[in-house]
Amino acid sequence: MMDFKLPAICCALVVLAAPLAVQAEGDPTVGRKKAETCLGCHGIEDYKNVYPTYHVPKLGGQNPEYIVAALTAYSTGERPHSTMHAQAATLSAEDMQDIAAYFAAREQ
Amino acid sequence: MIAKKTMCALAATILLPLAAAADGNPELGKMKSQTCTACHGDDGRGIAPIYPVLAGQHADYLALALKQYRSGERSNAIMAPMAGPLSDDDIADLAAFYASLDGLNTPTR
Repeated sequence: MMDFKLPAICCALVVLAAPLAVQAEGDPTVGRKKAETCLGCHGIEDYKNVYPTYHVPKLGGQNPEYIVAALTAYSTGERPHSTMHAQAATLSAEDMQDIAAYFAAREQ
Repeated sequence: MIAKKTMCALAATILLPLAAAADGNPELGKMKSQTCTACHGDDGRGIAPIYPVLAGQHADYLALALKQYRSGERSNAIMAPMAGPLSDDDIADLAAFYASLDGLNTPTR
């Protein structure tokens, strides 16, 4: 009984988890289109935030899971920034993953 | 005239160390970064995808992030106790160190 059940459970897990894994990775090509607004600030060398004044962070080559976590925190307001909150609040989880995949793929 | 020159010299003397402190010292930063490496890696690229790449990031942004973690304005259970004991000089040095490493870039259209 165990011999049959364990492989079956493993197969079921792989089948169920595979699409989730693919989705979690995001699509960099779709992400490029969704990142158009982001590039208005993050795509300009040495672009600065004002009040307070500091460089907007570089996102090219950033880890994708971190980008999704940051966007989620901006969206909920856990991480404070009025412009980023307004942007992130319009994004779905899939949008965030696609955008993250795009920036992550921008290696030097 | 002399007073003016003296004032300028005085201002320069006072302001220079402030500018240096704001810039941070990457070598001191490297020495202070030993705790950071546990998650952010020796190369500042993060040991797992959930940890941000710090290498090559703008120093002023890194300093802001650390100050926000320190004040609690940016809430993070892992970073709050790390940033809490840091002085402004520590933050400037760490930011200068990570900014000096090869890593992140600005994607252009």
